[in-house]
Amino acid sequence: MVPDIVEHDQYNIGYICTHRQCRRGLGNTSALRWISHRFERQDYTFADLDGLTNRFANVLTELGLRKGDVVFTFLPKMPEQFVAFLGGLKAQCITGTLFSNLGDDALLDRLADSGARLVVTSKSLYRKIERIRARLPQLRTVILIDVADDLSHDLLSWGRMMTAAHDDFATPVTPPETPSVLHYTSGSTGKPKGVLHCHKSVMQQARTAHEVLGLQRNDLYWCTADQGWVTGTSYGIIGPWSLGVTQLHFGGTYDAGCWLDLIARQGVTVWYTAPTALRMLMREEPTLFLAADLSSIRSIFSVGEPLNPEVISWARKTLGKDIFDTWFQTETGAIMIANCSRFPVRPGSMGKPVQGVEPAILADDGTICAAGEHGNLCIKQGWDSMFATYLNNSAAYEDRFKNSYYYTGDMAWRDDDGYYWFLGRSDDVINTSGHLVSPFEVESTLLELPEVVESAAIAAPDDLLFEKVVAFVHLKADVTLTPELMLKIRLHVANRLSSVAIPQEIIPVEEIPKNKSGKIMRRVMKSRYLGQDEGDITMLEEYGQ
Amino acid sequence: MITLELLEPIFREVFDNPDIVLNRGMSSDDIDNWDSLTHMNLVVAIELRFKVKFALGELKMLKNVGEMLDLINRKMAR
Repeated sequence: MVPDIVEHDQYNIGYICTHRQCRRGLGNTSALRWISHRFERQDYTFADLDGLTNRFANVLTELGLRKGDVVFTFLPKMPEQFVAFLGGLKAQCITGTLFSNLGDDALLDRLADSGARLVVTSKSLYRKIERIRARLPQLRTVILIDVADDLSHDLLSWGRMMTAAHDDFATPVTPPETPSVLHYTSGSTGKPKGVLHCHKSVMQQARTAHEVLGLQRNDLYWCTADQGWVTGTSYGIIGPWSLGVTQLHFGGTYDAGCWLDLIARQGVTVWYTAPTALRMLMREEPTLFLAADLSSIRSIFSVGEPLNPEVISWARKTLGKDIFDTWFQTETGAIMIANCSRFPVRPGSMGKPVQGVEPAILADDGTICAAGEHGNLCIKQGWDSMFATYLNNSAAYEDRFKNSYYYTGDMAWRDDDGYYWFLGRSDDVINTSGHLVSPFEVESTLLELPEVVESAAIAAPDDLLFEKVVAFVHLKADVTLTPELMLKIRLHVANRLSSVAIPQEIIPVEEIPKNKSGKIMRRVMKSRYLGQDEGDITMLEEYGQ
Repeated sequence: MITLELLEPIFREVFDNPDIVLNRGMSSDDIDNWDSLTHMNLVVAIELRFKVKFALGELKMLKNVGEMLDLINRKMAR
């Protein structure tokens, strides 16, 4: 049974993940087992986490931040990120986490759209913000986690401020509909949209952490997701801590040997990771797994992109475990459809709906499809972690709902036994290693290069990444696509957008097909790339004139 | 002979950080944004700059900047 996480109508996520656990008698229980990239271990109890997040909430209050002001972290995975995130929520700020690999353009879009007032970052990452800061008049304060003293009146030292702040903070009673977490997500058109959640989302996150992930008080749980993405906050912070479960977090990057060693030495019991990471593990030498002790693991879960049946088969054979795939989106805030130990896994399936969630497969005219029929995957609105709006874009929010159903943008079908099966996206968004990349943003970034006249970006199947970004570039007449120019393009995308948006293939073309209104026909580019029938091309500009 | 000083500008360009100062012990954990995707950018940049080619297996074995430097120098000596 899910613990009663809300008392006295206090829905505040920061409070529930820290102080509430202390009140449940878990103050001396380890909340965070932090393993640095140099394998130094530091444990933080729930009482430690409560005190530190109180300090940060006081820092924000002293700086004049108020309920509803937007605060971001821009950090790699590290303890300060967890403290700032939960402390910001305690102060009733809208709190977001920015992926530390975001480039200048991606940062500017997010910080400007949200009107962010404060960012917590490191000295080396700050240089990206510094380059765009003149265009962010609402950004009043930046806190640097790795400077001993303030560098100026608005470039402050984390250590100094945290030391000076009191470790007691009375978290205001926070109603369920109070805005809480902000994540940006990419669409196939326009700029990224700010997905805003409310504090009551913790109910769904706690319930699914308990019922799907099966988390129990004595577990050591490891979610490998970066906190810059929704899995990293919903299940790498909120869900487990709202249940009083100890989390392992590792500051290093992917290394198969290190990961297996961590699981064995630390005794990880529940592991939540991504299909791309599992596929990378599959490519390792089998002897690595013969030597590994994975006996502590009770369950392995994955999320981010569909889990191929081959990975499940490999895990059964090599790890002696099933892998339970789960499905959710930034907008849903918590797991909606999942596999778990309560029913047999059908390899390749998304699983079944979690309790209280009502998905449906709807045809384009809104009618409900029968079992076996392909259609739009929709969720009946009203679940606890449903997003509240797209920040500053209520029209886009309303477009996602029809007749009380949220349209996920995914296409799927349901079998006779209630399992759901993913088919693909209904739009052009690229899902590469679990990250959604906007083709529009890639195309816009490519156009910044003087050598590029036109560009198009599509998703192409990839054995490791699920989908990869393929870019088509129409170059100026006197320019050829040399290896040096390819590198320039890759670096430009990495440094302006993000490493996840780097085109894995760059293909020169004579023209980019567009329809009569000038819209890039990515469908046609994709068909040509895959060697498939291009379908109806009568609307193409070059054919239609 | 390729030295850290010759490698440094490549790192600075690839990771978009003019403040990077390399030492042999540095690894992907010490430099912001050094992930598997930006690593490929680094590899291509080194290949183009020093006219060498890396095999996939060789790169997986590298643990730090020092080992990368040694590998480049071994390749250039051939």
